[in-house]
Amino acid sequence: MARIASLLVPLFPLAARLRSEPELAGEAVVIVEGNGNAAHVIAASRRARRETICAGMTLPQARALLPKLIARGRDAECERTSQEALLEIAERFSPRIEDAGEGVAHLDVSGMEGLFRDKKETTAEEGPADHETTLARAIIQAAGTAGLPTRVGIAASKLAARIAAELPKSPVIVPPGEESAFLAPLPLTRLLPELAIGDALGRWGIRSIGELARLPEAEVASRLGETGRALHWAARGVDSRPLTPRLPPPEFREGMDLEWPLVSLEPFLFIANAALDRLARRMEVQGFACRRLELLLKLEPDGYDSRGIDLPAPTRDVKTMLTLIRLGLEARTPGAPVAGFSFVAHPDRPRRAQLSLFGSPALSPDKLATTIARLAALIGSDRVGTPVTVDGHAPERFAIVAHDPPPPPELRRRPRRSRGLLAVRVLRPPVPVEVIMRGNELHSVQPLAVRNDSGDGSKRMKIEGSIRVASGPWSLEEGWWCEKPVDRDYWDVELSSGGVYRIYRERGEGGWYVDGMYD
Amino acid sequence: MITATPLDLRLVTAYVIGTSSLLLPVESLMSSALLFQMPLLPRETRPPADSETEITPPLRDDLARLRASLAPELAARISSASELARTLQRRRRDEAIPTTIPEVDRLLEGGLPRGRLIEIAARRSTGRFSIALSTVASATSSGDAAAFIDLGDHLDPSALEIAGAELSRVLWIRPRTVKEAVTSAELLIATGFPLVVAELGVHPLPGRRVAEASWVRLARAAEGHGAALLVCSPYPISGTISEAVISGQRGRAAWQGEKKTPRLLTGLSTTLRLEKHRHRKAGDAVMLRLLMKEVIR
Repeated sequence: MARIASLLVPLFPLAARLRSEPELAGEAVVIVEGNGNAAHVIAASRRARRETICAGMTLPQARALLPKLIARGRDAECERTSQEALLEIAERFSPRIEDAGEGVAHLDVSGMEGLFRDKKETTAEEGPADHETTLARAIIQAAGTAGLPTRVGIAASKLAARIAAELPKSPVIVPPGEESAFLAPLPLTRLLPELAIGDALGRWGIRSIGELARLPEAEVASRLGETGRALHWAARGVDSRPLTPRLPPPEFREGMDLEWPLVSLEPFLFIANAALDRLARRMEVQGFACRRLELLLKLEPDGYDSRGIDLPAPTRDVKTMLTLIRLGLEARTPGAPVAGFSFVAHPDRPRRAQLSLFGSPALSPDKLATTIARLAALIGSDRVGTPVTVDGHAPERFAIVAHDPPPPPELRRRPRRSRGLLAVRVLRPPVPVEVIMRGNELHSVQPLAVRNDSGDGSKRMKIEGSIRVASGPWSLEEGWWCEKPVDRDYWDVELSSGGVYRIYRERGEGGWYVDGMYD
Repeated sequence: MITATPLDLRLVTAYVIGTSSLLLPVESLMSSALLFQMPLLPRETRPPADSETEITPPLRDDLARLRASLAPELAARISSASELARTLQRRRRDEAIPTTIPEVDRLLEGGLPRGRLIEIAARRSTGRFSIALSTVASATSSGDAAAFIDLGDHLDPSALEIAGAELSRVLWIRPRTVKEAVTSAELLIATGFPLVVAELGVHPLPGRRVAEASWVRLARAAEGHGAALLVCSPYPISGTISEAVISGQRGRAAWQGEKKTPRLLTGLSTTLRLEKHRHRKAGDAVMLRLLMKEVIR
């Protein structure tokens, strides 16, 4: 026989809000729906309920009872992410889960005796329900850790499990085959809280589910129609609806609607940090890391702003993601106050490094990706990477690609012996100079008074002095078919002031430049 | 009398560490034991297979018993896997990363010590950049990762490849200011790079001078993570925190050809001097000769 566990988060709109704003826990908080004086309470925290505030009151009525009452509007984004979090908790315990919406999830828990048998509590006489109690307690604990106070009911059908989960003393385990006996003493409102048919049954004097179940099915069906027949089946604990397994979503979402629109960055980042932290924890539970992060901003009064951040490698580092978001928002501001936001993380498997006993230690791919992302945010993504050679002869040529190092060798190698090579320090961009000629020979180099175009206010390096020895010219001609062909005459020069340089003259314009220093 | 099988020895996970730092496998130990007719583990000391929690203590006892049963010189060379891992890690931290330029390695007594900041402060054309490239080539050719922080954007990837580096193991950072360079170095050290080379370019350095506290923090980070940090700058910049400071005298170019005959640059010779060392007397000097690749060919 199938066994179904129902997870139910009581006062779901309130629980979802408290999950997003944990600092409100313990306060007198109500969730309201509607605007102005028409706003009415749909859920109240325990402290507010103690002050006799209950669902259905208008907000002014509630405030009259408790002036310091904290009121929050119902937040669809919060509820959606909380529902996802609830489903992810359910997935930890069973691969077959159903999303029943509004803080409810069903799990197929058949055949889990071996997984949740608690040696300390279970004895042979206690029967098969004991492992289900252990399982239900584990679910309640996991959900509580994730900030969602949850009740659990386990029965043979979704209906009975759901009703069991609604009862206050959680967990409630309905033994197999005893669904109708479990339902019989419960009031009829548990079965049909909002149906108009309940009034008709009330007039007949039917108060409990058991009284309805004892009526003849055909008589109920002839008077109340198909709805009545289905209700009669439900009252007998018969629920033919199978569990509909949900497909895991391809992405993780977190977000919330803000109480007040935000116009500055810091308060937004403060809230975003908490949301990213929740997102990272959810991904960690499933063994995922974020490969791409999308941010959707809801703007005031209307409109949206969306942006995406591609991460160099899957990561769960909140600090890195927050830094990238900060830089993205600073570079391109939304242009309007932010009234809500939503993060969408595209998951990927995090990379793992193989540890080596005798070889060089490999860098942790996760840490490396985080560092590269932070460096890219700090100095620019085109300034971090692996150097690669480029075909050609122009000395200034280079390319930089994303850093993806190969694994280290299994055994440490001996370092390659140096050949004592003299390297050239490339000067990018080349330093323009004036070269004085005497006859056909180079005589001296003088700095050229030119404006510094780098824009960072830095001073240009100064190269001057008479030329002690010059070697050249060496001709370099490349890319004559391009818009900017390279057509130069090169010299190696040693200056009296110190320094050995590589200088060239552009054949076309005739200007002199220093593009390298032997160092 | 020998009562153990090779399987019993494998349970002990024993290795013999030779003086050449390489390992001899279990079979060698077995053959050594056979050779010396040493009593080995009795079979009944094998730990019960069904209890994972009880494996460690009996194994430790087995190892102690095995050591006690062997000759002292052989027993001293037996190590458990965890001891071996610790020894190798310790040895790795004590190793220096050679620059593979004999003159520089002689000044630094083997190369760049891990966990220390070494500074080369030298002006133009003193071989500073060549030493930096050679160090990166040395680390990457042995399989280590290396980070090259290039403040002046001076690196030619083909020059690094010719120097012998595996470019795929090099992370090239091109900061704009000294502050960015120092921040980058700190991040890279914390990531676990065993070698970080901060090449600060030529005078004048872009951006403001960073506080000495930043270098102290950087040196502490290198010490904490066992990274070798080489700072190459045109003048002493890291203050008192460095392990050693090497200065370079103005280099003289070597030319082929005389007077009116065509000249050809063949290399550069310069004098390197140990200005400071925490554990040695400073003042040693070496003559460094670097050659053009065309001459070497």
